[in-house]
Amino acid sequence: MKTLNIGKDFSVDPIGRYRSDGDKRSGEAFREDFLKPTLQSLALNEILEIIIDDGVESYGSSFLSEGFAGMVKYGYITKEELLKKIEIKYTNEDFEFFKKKILGYIAAAKYNSKVYVPTQPYV
Amino acid sequence: MKKLSKKRRELDVKIGLLHRQGRAKSKRIADYKKNANGFAVNAWVDRYRKKGLNLELSGNRLTIVLPEKLNFNSDLEITALNINAIRYLTKKRKVSHRAYRLGSVNFDYLKSISTSASLVLTAELSKWDDEIRNRLTPNIQNWDKDILVHFYDLGFFDLFKKKPIEIDKFKTDTSHSRRIVKYIKGRCGDDQKTRTLKTNITDMIGDQINKWMFLHGGLSEAIVNVSHHAYPKEYGFSGAEKNWYLTASFNTSEKELKVVFYDQGIGIPKSLPTSDLWEKTLEYLSIFPFVDRKKDETLLRAAVELDRTSTNESDRGKGLQDLLEFIRQRKNGCLSILSLKGLFELEVINGAESVRTDHFNNPVRGTLIIWSVFV
Repeated sequence: MKTLNIGKDFSVDPIGRYRSDGDKRSGEAFREDFLKPTLQSLALNEILEIIIDDGVESYGSSFLSEGFAGMVKYGYITKEELLKKIEIKYTNEDFEFFKKKILGYIAAAKYNSKVYVPTQPYV
Repeated sequence: MKKLSKKRRELDVKIGLLHRQGRAKSKRIADYKKNANGFAVNAWVDRYRKKGLNLELSGNRLTIVLPEKLNFNSDLEITALNINAIRYLTKKRKVSHRAYRLGSVNFDYLKSISTSASLVLTAELSKWDDEIRNRLTPNIQNWDKDILVHFYDLGFFDLFKKKPIEIDKFKTDTSHSRRIVKYIKGRCGDDQKTRTLKTNITDMIGDQINKWMFLHGGLSEAIVNVSHHAYPKEYGFSGAEKNWYLTASFNTSEKELKVVFYDQGIGIPKSLPTSDLWEKTLEYLSIFPFVDRKKDETLLRAAVELDRTSTNESDRGKGLQDLLEFIRQRKNGCLSILSLKGLFELEVINGAESVRTDHFNNPVRGTLIIWSVFV
């Protein structure tokens, strides 16, 4: 099992949908630079544990939907495969709310419904 | 060639004189067209005076005299009227030297102002100050002491190069139960400034705010929404104008915390697209009577309750729902969104939600979001 700790490995202040919103802290940056490569490096049947509450204040919907559901939307992985491969972990029970949101966005995403066009960081 | 009569000659001379003096009818019309903005401003002022705006005129210099009370609750119309007057009169435009110009804003008669009204007023004066290269100077001689201390705590006087001296002596003379944190001004990408707000609120209240994380999420989404929707390119906003403002206050006797966020953009109803989203919005709006469908309050409600926003993708548009979560998680409180002529309000009492919308005559130009909870 591999572990991806959003607060330690990515940012304690994730925000926004695109790089133009939050640069390195956006959902787009999380998906393209962290989640996608980590999922692609998993062995067959290996699970990715994603810790969502270590030092992170909270999440906005823009970040969660672009960061997670974007994997399905841009055709990188089907929603069924993605839901099998990830386990959302937290110790602060308030983060149950965000786990539900992540799983909800993935379930509602349409596979390969959009072509990914990278955005530029906000200047 | 026909010989000119004496009468015709005298008329020709008279017309020639009028032309040379710039008083000929054709030149007056040209002047009018050239200075149409000037006359439009003057006509606007006359119209707003009739609506209740208190103005003093000295030459062509206007002074807006603020009323006794400013708030977006019981005195919304007069508050919006005054704020809009400042916005309109400080807007850059080429006008005749005879056109009215805003010279000052008189705070002498102001006795009571809400947290949200003081933030919006500060934002408008900050915008004006930016446009005239920081030349505003406050004249506080006759200000009410409580108002003076309130604006001092808000950080209002940090706008000015010349700050009032001896402000500390007024602090002990007032008794006010409402404390306010210094306002924060930010632009796209400045979301980390919300951590400053959290520190300031915690210092003010002396305790952590339960479920703060959900307010933080709502504020982050509000900031992202500003960068996406509030200041579209086609409306000609410069980079320096794309600001948001944030503050919070705590009423020590009622234990009420208010957090206020404001942007000076086009407003949520106008940011809904006229084409892409209209199909979905029309579907939603079809439940309303025909006359209500284009009202700002209806569009505002649609924006909050639909699962899409102007970008029209099915997984997008949840940002406004994030604003409601702090109140929902605490199971008590109120969220108000005022934008243009519409109000959307969610009240939660012991977990039970009720929604109210309203419509008013004088718009709030931009979007004002107010979270209100008891701690």
